[in-house]
Parts: sequence; structure tokens; C-alpha cells
Amino acid sequence: MAPDRLFNLGFDLATTISILALVSSGLAVIFGMRGVINLAHGEFIMLGAFATLTGVRSGVNIWMAMAVAAAVVGLFGIVVERLIIRHLYGRLADTMLATWGLSLIMVQVVENRYGSVTEGISVPVGNFTVGEFSMSKYNFVLIAAAAAGVVATYTIMRRTRYGLLARAATQSSTMAEGLGVNTSGVNMWTFGLGSALAGAAGALLAPVVGVIPTMGQTFVARAFMTVIVGGPSFVAGTVSASGLLGFIENVGTNWFTPVIGQAMLLMAAIVILRFLPQGLTGTRFRR
Amino acid sequence: MRDLLARVAGSGPKPAQGNVRRDLGGAALAFAAAAVLGNWVEEFTAFEWSLWAVQAILALSLTLVWGYGGIFSLGQAAIYGVGGYTYGFWAINLTDNTGESLTAVLVAVLVGAVFAALLGYFMFYGNVTDVYVAIITLATSLVLFAFVNSTSGRAYRIGDAPFGGYNGMPRIPRITWRLPGGESHELTRTQFFLFCVAAGLLIAVAIRVLSRRPFGRIAVALQHNELRTGLLGYDVRWHKLAVFTIGGAIAAFAGALFAAWGRFMSPPVFSLTPAALVVIWVLVGGRSSVSGAFVGVLVVKGFSSWLGGASGDNEPIVLGVILVLIVLLLPGGIVANLSRLRTWTQSRISLSATRLGTDAEAVDYQLEPSLASPTPEVAQQRARLIATAAVTKRFGGLAAVDAVTLEFPRGVSCLIGPNGAGKSTLLDLLSGRQRPTAGAVMLDGQDLTKREPFLRARGGVGTKLQVASVYESLTVRENLWLACYAMPRDIEEADRRAAGLLEWLDLRDEAEQAAGTLSHGKKQWLEIGMVVSTDPSVVLLDEPTAGMTREETERTANLVRELGEKASVIVVEHDMDFVRQLDAPITVLHMGSMFSQGTFEELSGDDRVIDIYLGAHHSNGSPSDSRGPAPGRPPNAGSAEADGAITAGGSADADA
Repeated sequence: MAPDRLFNLGFDLATTISILALVSSGLAVIFGMRGVINLAHGEFIMLGAFATLTGVRSGVNIWMAMAVAAAVVGLFGIVVERLIIRHLYGRLADTMLATWGLSLIMVQVVENRYGSVTEGISVPVGNFTVGEFSMSKYNFVLIAAAAAGVVATYTIMRRTRYGLLARAATQSSTMAEGLGVNTSGVNMWTFGLGSALAGAAGALLAPVVGVIPTMGQTFVARAFMTVIVGGPSFVAGTVSASGLLGFIENVGTNWFTPVIGQAMLLMAAIVILRFLPQGLTGTRFRR
Repeated sequence: MRDLLARVAGSGPKPAQGNVRRDLGGAALAFAAAAVLGNWVEEFTAFEWSLWAVQAILALSLTLVWGYGGIFSLGQAAIYGVGGYTYGFWAINLTDNTGESLTAVLVAVLVGAVFAALLGYFMFYGNVTDVYVAIITLATSLVLFAFVNSTSGRAYRIGDAPFGGYNGMPRIPRITWRLPGGESHELTRTQFFLFCVAAGLLIAVAIRVLSRRPFGRIAVALQHNELRTGLLGYDVRWHKLAVFTIGGAIAAFAGALFAAWGRFMSPPVFSLTPAALVVIWVLVGGRSSVSGAFVGVLVVKGFSSWLGGASGDNEPIVLGVILVLIVLLLPGGIVANLSRLRTWTQSRISLSATRLGTDAEAVDYQLEPSLASPTPEVAQQRARLIATAAVTKRFGGLAAVDAVTLEFPRGVSCLIGPNGAGKSTLLDLLSGRQRPTAGAVMLDGQDLTKREPFLRARGGVGTKLQVASVYESLTVRENLWLACYAMPRDIEEADRRAAGLLEWLDLRDEAEQAAGTLSHGKKQWLEIGMVVSTDPSVVLLDEPTAGMTREETERTANLVRELGEKASVIVVEHDMDFVRQLDAPITVLHMGSMFSQGTFEELSGDDRVIDIYLGAHHSNGSPSDSRGPAPGRPPNAGSAEADGAITAGGSADADA
């Protein structure tokens, strides 16, 4: 195989993996730390994309708009946590249903406001060429952002006071409370952090995907499968599951169609869970 | 007060009550009403109503799967879609030739069942649980959505029937029937309505009947406590798969009717809104209420067209708000909450007594006959030898159990050791709750290492867990019934034995009370009773006396000794009084390895054993001090007069 083709394939693969890591890391934080399944995760991504779109339309610099979008979605997450999620910790199915309700509401509200037509933001950077292949420089941004997101989350969780308290609350909420940790506040920040990550993913994807109210649906299934297949360890789980599932999706997409790629991802995930119900990092790593 | 507590704790789904005749009577009445109404209104109105019946059938599939089986499936709408498309393919291709489309309905049901079974196999046999099931089923729907959406090309067709991609599949024939050699009849609109109503009612009755059968009771049991259900010897995975497959068949049937109703299928059936809709119907109607399925569809439909229809297409917002509000305010659903209000005002009828056999026909329960060992010879055969061969269990870098080789002969054996010695892990390896990293577990020379816990239970290994594991929201009687049914699989036998056990355990007054409301000691006692009633030949007891009063502890000691005459009983215990009472060979574990073995007297004179309990600096104390007095007993009983505990400075005769 020609080196330029090889580079093109590898670059494409790295992009797919990065997108998976981007869309799943927010979910991994919320699910991994608080055991909350946020079914509105896809809509948080969508919100990030629309916030970016609104910013760019009103003349804000695109990178600035992305940063603001992430913050906006993070704040939105905090509001949702205070209003709904707070009452439902420990009731897995109920959090799932409530956030599902939220997702239905969000899609329709955004659709009423913006319409259901695909909106686009132009890609802020150009292309580059390797041999016969022309590729978007923006994919470098996606890859770098995914790596930065994972590293930053890891650092927050391992190196900050908040991270320590959050992990303590994860391991034993009652014990942490007994030691004087304000678990309610910690939970709020955890949910906010996960939401901000989802918002950032939406912001970063806005230039490369169609920004429509139902765009969350296209990511949520993949994000969930990545998180479940990844298992309890955040970094090792996100990286390994994005890598493996991204590879499978990429192969399916390149050989057949994107839809087959997604279907292959799902089937692979189900088969993996049949044999490793705790996910890839379930047996080797303990939380 | 106790009654109130019992009711609150027991508010979870229960097996349906009543009898078949009453159910059928109710269904017949409902059908008659539908027939009168259906013929009275305009044909077109009746046809509109059919959709309600079809959707109620879909809701029933989730009532069965979620309400009774505890499987939180978000994929019922997707299976409904699969059923609809399948009906479309068959009916389009064959109805012109055969003059009937009932075969297509049958094929749709089969395909739906197979689809559910395949998905269920991977989920349940991979031990994927609750929310993961929800996510996998939801992800499956979304992938189907994406797939069907992408099939607009001419290449995607089966025979004359195109997938149609996002345009959908048009011209699906209506329900048509024909007697062999006779003419072909298409159901009129009114007939179709009555057909759907009849089918829905029959399915509802079938679900109620099923839920009263042992199959349904086991489904409810595993929803409440999967672990205990497995340890009683029920095959949890198979039961879930069966429930999910039946649910899939029902959903696909509804889908076929839907395709015949609208004569059209399109991809949005696989999207999130229909999936949410099914869940909302069932939530509104009450998860485990069969009539709730019909009510839920009606209420939600009325509500969303009233609120959403007026101001444009705001149905999703209405649905979303309903979902959030139900979860926050009414987790049981409307019908369930209404009926709870009703029972609140009535005295609680002892439903379980009528359902699970009355005390009048109770056998006088005695340990001897229950263990089915009338002669010593039989007892001899039943006792079995469980053993480990260099069994090791690692958690990360820590070896909780490190190359332990032990044999537990017939009779009682005690396992003691300080906290973290690996006692409970070793029991888990024996019961199958955990798989060893290396080494083997043998029962009578048979290798058990890879055998599932429920198979070990069937092979005669009974387990009592460290933290009492009973069905907290089922009544004491239901708990015992499930244990008694596990082995002989005989309903009447189980009724009688459960009633007898209630006497024998002295829990008669608490029989109709939710097990979760029992005191800690009684809960332990109940669990021991459940383990005994499965007729085990190897009994694993993890701290059986924790939380028991002194009297209860003594009774337990007597019971354990009695059990030891016929079975191999392995007891993990911290309470040295209890261990002494058992007068059994003791194995001391320390840091995952076998440390020492001997009788109580031998070990109580062994300084090394005392050291590991107390650390080398405190070799003059008594080991029961390290834990303090056991909960539930007078504070002075444990430590001050620790005459029975292993005391330091052991006597010379113990060493001899």
C-alpha cells in the first residue's frame, strides 16, 4: 500500500477514534462518577453545537464561541442537576427516564426555535495534502481536543481537591458525608463537568456534522456503547473502548457504508459485553 | 404500624392475584362492551380505535418484560417495528397468491421472538444487567433506525416488497383470511377493531395467568433479588431470556397489526419517540398492572392530543414533561397508585395465604423428613465432599485467597480468621459467586470450578450470604415458597412445605409481612430456613449468627449441628462462643492462606493463632474482643465473660 494511502487511512482512523472519545467522555464522567445514565447526553451535545452556531452567527470568533458553548452547556447541566437529577441519585432507571423526558423536550424546543433544517458552520481551517489525498486540518483539532479532554479530566480527577472529593463520594457517599464532604455540591460539579464535556464535543463537531435538533440521536448510541465497553476506569476505558470500537466502525464505514459501520460497532459491543460484562477494564482495573 | 411498613416495603410488583375464571369473565365483559360500541359508532371511528388496542398490546409486552420480569427494555418499540416490516414483506409477497395474511402475522411473531431471543442471549448470558439492558436495547433501536433509513435504493427489497428507506414501505395488505378451498375475506374495519381488542384481552389474561404460575413468580423473584434466586438453584439467565422472548413475540404481533392497520411502515418507528412512548404508557398505567397497559395508552393519548395538538407538534414536549413528572412524583404509575389508595382504606387481605396455600394444610415441619433422609444409609449417600485444590483468587495485586487446598468432610467445619483473611472469598469460590484465578473447586471429585452458581445450588450446594439476602419486598411466606419450589418443582408440595417451615422457624406471625421489615436476626433465620429448605448436601454459612440474640444463636448452633449429621456444613464465624458450641474441626485462615487446623481446644492454646487475631503485642487478650460484643446481645456477654473464647496462655492438655 502506498504510504500516502496508509497515512490517509491512519488519519481517518485517528479521527473516528477521537470523535468517539469526545462524545463519550462527558458521559463516562457522569456515569462513572455518579452512576447516572444521562439519556439526554446526545441533546447536551446538540445544545453545544447550537450554542456555537448562535455564537458564530452573532459574529463571535469561532474558537471563542466553542469555549462559551461548553461553559453554557456546563451551566445548563448544573441547573438540570439541581432541578431533577438531585432527587434521583441511586435510582438508575428513574434517572434514565427523567433524562429521556428531558431529551424529548430539548429536541422539540430547539426544533421549534431553529426549525429542523440542517444548519452549517464553515470549517475554520483549510485542507492539507499528502500524496494524492486531501485531508482536513480540522481533524487535527479534533484529535488534539480529544487527547486534551481525556488528559484534563484525568488531571482534574486525580490532582485536584474536587477530584479527590468526587472520587470519595463515588466510592462511598455515606462515608464521604460522614467525613464532612458536601456530597451534594460535589455531585453538582461532577454533573456540570460532564455536561461541559458534552457541550465541548458538540461545539467541536459543529463544523463537521449537520447541526440539526435530532443530531444527538446519531451520537448517543455510540457514546453509550463506548462507555459501557470501556468499563469502570475512565482513562483506560475511554481510550481502549474508543480505540477498539472506532477501529471497527472505521473498517465498516470504509468497506461498506457509515450505517454498516455503526451497526458493526453495536454488534461488536454486544459481543464484547457477552464475554466481558464489566467492560474492557472491568477485571484488570478497580475504580 | 407494622402493617403500614409491610405495605410500603411491599409496594413493588407482585404476582397478580385472582383466578383465571374471573380474568376471563372480565375480558369477556370488556369484549362485549367493545363489540357494542364498535358496532354503534361509525366504522371509521372504530378503525381509529383499533390503533389504541394495537398500542395496548405493545404496552402489554413491556408490562410483561419490565413489570413482571424486571427487564428494563427500551427496545419493545423496535421489535414492534421489526414485526411490522416482517408482516409487510410476507403479506406483500404472498397475500395475492394465498389469499390470506394470517401466515404473515405468524411469521412476524416468530421473527420478533427470534430477534428478541438473539439479543436476549447476548445480554442475559453475558450477565448484562438492568440499565445496560436498557442501553443496549435502545442502541439497537437507533442502529435499526439508521439502517432502515438508508435502504431507499432499489437494491433493498425482498421479493416485491421494497424497504423504501425513509419513504417507508407502502401498500401493505390488510388482515385477510381464507378457509382452505374457500374464498378470501378481508377484515372489515369494525371486524379489525374487534380482532385487535380480542387479541389484546387474551394476551392480558395470558400474562396474568402466567404471572400466577411458578414461572411468573420466579420472574418476580429474580426481579427482587437475582442473587438469591440463583443461589436457590433457579436459572436466572434462562428465565430472563424466556420472558424477553415472549415479550418480543407480543411486541412483534402488535407491530404486524400496526402494519395491517396503517398499510404502511416507515423508519421513525425505530426512533426515540416511540420507544419513549411505550415506556410512558406503561409508567402511567403502572408497571405491573395488566389493565394499566390499556389505561396508560388511553390517558397518554388523550393528554398529548389535548395539550400538544392544539399548539402545533408539541407532542414530544408533553411526553417529556409527563416522563419527568411521573418519575419525580409518581414512581408507581397512576393505576398502581390508585389501587394502593384503595387498599389503604381496606384491611389488608392476606392474599398470599390464598395464593400460596393455607396454613390449614401445612405439614408439621420437621428437619428430619424435610431433608428426606429416612435412613442413615441414604444420609450417607447424600453427604458430599466439597474440596478445593490450590484455589487462588486475586483482586488486582492482592491475593484474597492464596493457593488454599482444603477438604470439608461430612459434618460441620468452621472457618475462622481475622478480617481480611479470605474467609468470605473462599465461600464465594465454593458457591460460585466468584471464579478462582487459579486452582479448582471439587464436589465428590467432580470439577465445579466453571459451574454457574445456580447449577451448584441444584447440585446441592446451599449458601447463606454474609449480608442476609432475602426477597425484602416479598412476604416471608413468599420467600419460603420460592425456596421450597426450587428443588421438587411441585406447587402443592412447595405450598405445604412453606407453611410447615413457617411454623418451624417460628415466623408464623410474620408470614404475610414483607421480609424487609423483619429484625436483623429474624432475617438471618429466614435465610437459613430458605437454604435448609432447598435440601442441600453442602451448606455454606457466612456469619449466620450476626445480629442474633443469644437464644437465636443457640438455636442456630443446634440447627447447624443437626444439619451436620447429614450434610457438609461450612461455617464462617467471628463469634467464638458459637464456634465453641459447634464443637467442630476448625480451619484458621490468615492473609489468604491456610494458617492452622485443629479443634477448639487445640487452637485456643496456640499462641500463633492468638497473635494473628490480636497482633503480636496483645497476645494476652481474647479474640472476641477484637470485634466487641456481637450486635443484638447484652454488651457484657461478649467480652467480659469470654469464658468460651479462645483464651491466651492455653492449657497444657490442649496441646497434648
